[in-house]
Amino acid sequence: MGDIAFLLIIFFLVCSEVSKDASDIEVTLPVSERVEKMKAAAAARVAIDQGGQIYFEGSQVENPKDVEWGVRALLANTVVDDQRHVQFRCDAAVTKEIFEPVLKAIAEGGGIIEAVGNKKEP
Amino acid sequence: MARLNSSKKRRRAAGAIPTDSFSDIAFLLIIYFLVATTLMKLHSIKADLPSGEKAEQAQSEKTPIVNLRSGQIFFNDKPVELEMLEERLAALDLAAQDPEKRVVMLETAKGTPYDLYFQALAAISGSGGVVALVEEN
Repeated sequence: MGDIAFLLIIFFLVCSEVSKDASDIEVTLPVSERVEKMKAAAAARVAIDQGGQIYFEGSQVENPKDVEWGVRALLANTVVDDQRHVQFRCDAAVTKEIFEPVLKAIAEGGGIIEAVGNKKEP
Repeated sequence: MARLNSSKKRRRAAGAIPTDSFSDIAFLLIIYFLVATTLMKLHSIKADLPSGEKAEQAQSEKTPIVNLRSGQIFFNDKPVELEMLEERLAALDLAAQDPEKRVVMLETAKGTPYDLYFQALAAISGSGGVVALVEEN
């Protein structure tokens, strides 16, 4: 029994990523045929919910500038581009006035945006 | 001699690490991983937006521009459907160009929903383009 349990633990250790994306944030993701499975691990996670509230690493922040400083701080010691990926989850109904400053903030902070969406089945 | 051997065995047995609770610890760890992990891989589009001076340098008169206004997509000021935009961008063969010639400007009007923006971003990134956001004056 103990052996099986340890095998299961090794399985989870190898093929799982500890959840940090605060899935309780209510976001209706946009749909596209062009989305692909995320290959690189995200260095930071940014989300905007239905109400336009901005979240950085699961915590609510006041404005896009906070996101920029957060991303800048997290990416300060990165060496390669693969470490600069920032996961961006935004509600499909949010308007430009809210999401564009956040996208700019991520770019200014040095992040490569990984805009999360759902795959549209053909 | 026999007495000496038996006392050695007794000492070893007393110093052995108790392994009875290992399976309990293992199951607790399993429960932790079951609760706190995400096995599902997310789908996304990658967009490396040039920022600051780089973005300004990237913009020139010849740079293709995608406008999003009134819920419609315009490519170089002509209204297009999403499929048409993808075809036009594919015709530019951006993936084979030099990095500075792969820039596509993306301009959005106030009130543009993220859904439409995402479609345009996916089309540009999917065709090998680099998105430069147009600043409002």
